[in-house]
Amino acid sequence: MTVTTERKAATPSGGPPPASSGLLRWITTTDHKMIGLSYIFTSLAFFAIGGVLALVIRTELADPGEIIDAETYNQFFTMHGSIMIYLFAVPFGFGLANYIVPLQIGAPDMAFPRLNALGYWMYLFGGTVMVAGFLTAGGSASFGWFAYAPLSGATYSPGIGPDLWIIGVVVTSTAGILTAVNLVTTIVMLRAPGMTMFRMPIFTWNMLVVSVMVLLAFPVLTSALAMLFADRRLDAHIFDVSEDGTPVLWQHLFWFFGHPEVYIIALPFFGVITEIIPVFSRRPVFAYKGLIMATLAIGGLSVGVWAHHMFATGVVLLPFFSALSLLIAVPTGVKFFNWIGTMWRGQITYSSAMLFTIGSIVVFLLGGLTGVLQALAPVDFSVTDTYFVVAHMHYVIFGTAGFAGFAAVYYWFPKFTGKLLDERLGIAHFVLLFIGVNMTFLVQHELGLRGMPRRVNDYGAGAGFTTLNVISTIGSYIIAVAVLIFAINLLLSLRKGKPAGNDPWGGQTLEWWTTSPPPEHNFDSLPPIRSERPVWDAHHPEAIAFGHASDSGNGQRGNGQRKPVEDAP
Amino acid sequence: MPRLRHAALLLVLTLAGCGLVDHGGNRGSSQQGRDIFDLWQGSVIAALVVGFLVWGLIFWAAIRYRRRGDEIPTQRQYIFSLEIVYTALPVLIVAVLFVFAYQTQRDVQEVSSNPDLVVEVDGFQWQWQFHYVEEDITVTGLPDEPPVMVLPVDQTIRFVLRSDDVIHSFYVPDFLYKRDVIPGVDNQIDVDVVDTGRYTGRCAEFCGLDHSKMTFEVDAVTMADFRNWVDEQQSAGEAASSDGGGS
Repeated sequence: MTVTTERKAATPSGGPPPASSGLLRWITTTDHKMIGLSYIFTSLAFFAIGGVLALVIRTELADPGEIIDAETYNQFFTMHGSIMIYLFAVPFGFGLANYIVPLQIGAPDMAFPRLNALGYWMYLFGGTVMVAGFLTAGGSASFGWFAYAPLSGATYSPGIGPDLWIIGVVVTSTAGILTAVNLVTTIVMLRAPGMTMFRMPIFTWNMLVVSVMVLLAFPVLTSALAMLFADRRLDAHIFDVSEDGTPVLWQHLFWFFGHPEVYIIALPFFGVITEIIPVFSRRPVFAYKGLIMATLAIGGLSVGVWAHHMFATGVVLLPFFSALSLLIAVPTGVKFFNWIGTMWRGQITYSSAMLFTIGSIVVFLLGGLTGVLQALAPVDFSVTDTYFVVAHMHYVIFGTAGFAGFAAVYYWFPKFTGKLLDERLGIAHFVLLFIGVNMTFLVQHELGLRGMPRRVNDYGAGAGFTTLNVISTIGSYIIAVAVLIFAINLLLSLRKGKPAGNDPWGGQTLEWWTTSPPPEHNFDSLPPIRSERPVWDAHHPEAIAFGHASDSGNGQRGNGQRKPVEDAP
Repeated sequence: MPRLRHAALLLVLTLAGCGLVDHGGNRGSSQQGRDIFDLWQGSVIAALVVGFLVWGLIFWAAIRYRRRGDEIPTQRQYIFSLEIVYTALPVLIVAVLFVFAYQTQRDVQEVSSNPDLVVEVDGFQWQWQFHYVEEDITVTGLPDEPPVMVLPVDQTIRFVLRSDDVIHSFYVPDFLYKRDVIPGVDNQIDVDVVDTGRYTGRCAEFCGLDHSKMTFEVDAVTMADFRNWVDEQQSAGEAASSDGGGS
C-alpha cells in the first residue's frame, strides 16, 4: 500500500493526475492488480446472489408448493445457473489471472491495460443487465441457463427479461474475449528475461490454454446469441421449425461453447491446485512437462466433445462423441497423479489453502468419475436431465471454482493485502463447506437414478423423493453458513489480519518475490529465472550450486538434496 | 490399522452397494433398460474401484507425508516410466468401457423393421397424447389427470416421438431410457417392456412453466389384458364417435 499512500498525499493539490483517492482510483485504474481485485470482488458478489437463489430453490424443493410459484422457480433456477456460470466461475478465474499472471511471469502489467479495464467494466455492465431482468414486469429469463430453442424464442418466452439475459451474456462473454486476447498477448510477449515457456508456473500455463479456448468457444456463443436475438426481435426464424429452421442447431452452437466452457471454468483452478500443492509439500510439481501436455490435450479435445450433451436428442453420432469424451478423462486423470506425485515424500503443512486444495481434488474426483459414466451414451440415456447430472456438475464446479477458488483466496489474500486470513475461521469454513457440499449433492445422485428430472419445482408427494430432498436442502444451509464464515473472515482479516510479509508460505513462483501488496510496477528487482520456481531457487542456493535448477530439460532435479536447510522466510 | 481399514472398506462398499451400483434400486423393467443397467453396473464398479484407489492415494499421501521436520524433502520431479503407466492405464480403461458402451448402445438403439405395436407420442406444453396407430386409439392427458399408456409386455413397441411446440423428453425412469421429443425431428425408439406393473413417466427436458406437471402413467399388462383393453377402448370409441365426440 506504500504506493497508494504516497499518491494520496500528493492528491490534494489537484494536479492533472488526480485519480488517486478511494473510489475514483478504483473506477479509473488500469492497474492489473486493482482490476483483478475488482473482478474477484464482483464475481464473489454475484456468487452471493446466485447462492441466495439456490437457497430459495432448495427450500422450495424440501417442501414443494410452499414458497414460490412455478414461474418464479423457473426464473430462479435459470438465473442461479446463469449467474454461477457466466458471472461467477469464469470471471473469478479471470480475476485471479488478472492479478497473478503478470506477477508470475515478472511483467509490470498486462499487455493492454486499458483493454483490461474495458473488459472489467463490460463484465460488470453485462452482469447487471442480466440480473436486471428481475426488475422487468415479466421477470427475468426462465428458460434455463442453456436457453434451448424454441423455448427461448419470442413465442414461448415473451417479454424483455429474456432479451436482457441475451444482451447480458453477449456483453459478458465479449469481455471474456477481450481478457483472453490480453492474457495471451501478455503471456507470449511480456515474460521476464529467462522466463521461457517451460519455466512458466502451471497457473500461467493453464491461463494461456484457457485463453485460447475462450477465443475458440466464446465467439460461437456470442454469434448463437445474436441469432437467437434476431429470431426473437427481427423475425429471423433460424431456430424456427415452421419456417424450415432447426432447433437442434442451437444446441450444437451452444454446446460448442458450453463444453469447452466446463474446462474454461476448471483449468484456472487446476492451475491454482498445482500452485498450492508444491508450495505446501515443499516439492517441485511432479512431472511438470507431462502436466502441461495434459493441459494442452484437454484444450485440444475439449472442442470435440460438445455433443455428449445431446446424446438423448437422437441426432448425433454417438460413438465419436462418446470416445472423445472418454478420452478427455485421461489427461484430466493424469493431473491427479501429478498432484499425488507432488505430495509424495513431501513435507506437507496444512494451512487453510492446502486443506481447501485437498478438499477440491477429493470432491472433483467424484464429479470426474460420474462424468466418465455419462460419456457412455447408454448410461447417459438413463441419467441425462435428471438430478444425477445436477449432482455431477455441482461436484465438478464445487471441486474447481468452489473449493479450489477458496483455496486461491486463502493462498493469495496475503499477497493482495499484506495480511493473513484467520486460520481458525478458515478451518471452520472448510469443514462446514465439505460437509455441506457432500450432504447437498451426494444424495442428488440417488435422486437422479430414481428418476427425478432436473428443473422441476415439484415432484409429487408420492414419488418417494421427499426425504433425500430434505437432506439436500439442509446441506445447502450448511454451505450457506460456511460461506458466511468466509465473508466474516474476509472482513475481519482485512481490518486486523496478521501481517503476512512478502512470502508467508515459502512460495516458489515470482509473485512471492515482491512486496505484499506489490508496488504499482510490480517488481523492484527480479531473481535469476533458471527454472519454473525461481523464488525457491533463490532461497535454496545449494540446488543451483549443484547445477540442477538451471536444467530446464527433462533431467531429474537434485535427487540427493536432503541437507537440512533453513527455509528463507 | 488393518482392522480399521477393513471396517472402512466395508462401510464404503455398503454405501456404494446401496446407492450407485444398484442404480437407485432401479434395475430396469424393459429389455433396453436391463441392457443399460448391466452396462451401468459394470462401469460404475470400475469407476468406484478407480475412485477409491485415487482417494486412497490422496489420503495416504496427505497423512503419511505431513510435515515432520525441517528437512528438505526429495526434489525429484520426473519418473518417466511412472508417467507412461498412469497415462496408458486410463487409456486402456476407457477403451474397454467404450467397447462395452458401443455394444450396449447398438442393442438399445436397434429399431425393429416389424414392431408389434406402434404408439405415436405427442408432447406439448404441458401434456402428453398417445395414439395407437393400428388400433386407432388416442389417450390424452387432462390437467391433474395424467394420461395412462397401456402397454403389453414382451412385445416390441415402437414409439414415434413428436412435438409441435418446444423440446420435451420422453422418459420412463423404470425403462432407464429417454429420448428427446424435438420439433421437426423424427425420433423413433423401440422398447420391450418385460415386467408388468405401473410406472410413472416424466418429461425430462425443461419445457416451460408447468414442466414438472408433465407426467404420465405406464400400465404394463399381459398381452391378453392389453387385447381386452383395446377392445374396450374401441367399443367406447365407437360409442363416443356416434355421439359426435372424439379424442
